[in-house]
Amino acid sequence: MIQPQTHLNVADNSGARELMCIRIIGASNRRYAHIGDVIVAVIKEAVPNMPLERSEVVRAVIVRTCKELKRDNGIIIRYDDNAAVVIDQEGNPKGTRIFGAIARELRELNFTKIVSLAPEVL
Amino acid sequence: MEVKSCIHPLPCTPSTGILVSGCRTEAKLAANTRKICSLTLNSCNYAPFSYKDYLFNRRNSTEFSRMAIGSNVSEDTDDMFDDLLKKHGKVVYKRNDQKTASEEIDDDAESLSFAMAVAKVASDVKAGDIKVLFVKPLVYWTRFFIIATAFSRPQIDAIGTRIRDMAEEQYGKVASGDSKPNSWTLLDFGDVVVHIFLPQQREYYNLEEFYGNAASIELPFENQQKLRGSSGY
Repeated sequence: MIQPQTHLNVADNSGARELMCIRIIGASNRRYAHIGDVIVAVIKEAVPNMPLERSEVVRAVIVRTCKELKRDNGIIIRYDDNAAVVIDQEGNPKGTRIFGAIARELRELNFTKIVSLAPEVL
Repeated sequence: MEVKSCIHPLPCTPSTGILVSGCRTEAKLAANTRKICSLTLNSCNYAPFSYKDYLFNRRNSTEFSRMAIGSNVSEDTDDMFDDLLKKHGKVVYKRNDQKTASEEIDDDAESLSFAMAVAKVASDVKAGDIKVLFVKPLVYWTRFFIIATAFSRPQIDAIGTRIRDMAEEQYGKVASGDSKPNSWTLLDFGDVVVHIFLPQQREYYNLEEFYGNAASIELPFENQQKLRGSSGY
């Protein structure tokens, strides 16, 4: 359940460390975003000497949420943190590697690039 | 224990007979009173005994009553468990949807032939540095990766459309993934995932290194090309 003003960790090596959601893309009046949704976010904290800087506005895909993700077969996945991966306008990830486990729902939502860079897919 | 403790503080000694007797009576009295005291004090100790007994009796009685009532319940539960066991089985079975080793190998071979066909199409459209990686041991979600370099966006478009057409006509597979040419275009056929990069992006993302443990499959036409190239010069 990501909504505007939610702070998220960054799960890639793009150079951003923390994001704040400012808008959910896809519908005009949506309240929450879940795994696989694209958000507009502002970088709140960044690693020095990297291309991305603080207070830059970027797009990101949510890859982990504290809110449970339910599957049809009864599996429920809940992560410890809210995390997102920074992408560009075309949908390519800005970083080259993803950190931590991600859900396979991302592949069905056409984020196979992120899935193929991830070390573990649940 | 209690009696001993009450005799001990008395000033009687065995050397003085009368005193001793007197003392003894006293002691007895005292002992009695102490005993009574101790009894009264220990009544809390004693009470649980009786209470326990009471409980015990009560429990027994309730158990009996429960047994009397529960005879039906246990039968019902037995039936329920029998039904459940019949439905789900008593021993561990292999999952039905799992394939046998030979079927797996067949599937692998089918995917491999498809991957080879895709690689062939990519090389026909002059994609550079084509690699086919067998990533099934590393990731569960796919079997083969095809990584190719294209040198311009129109070329990416050409490779993408050719592969899509070929897959749909010959194998009846439809790709998900990028529909527009992108600097990293990805075609997802399920078992086979095709990555077409511009040279810069290929270097940047460096997928070969990330999947360095995957077995690389040699392409038959690559050698021919090399031979052709060497003979041409």
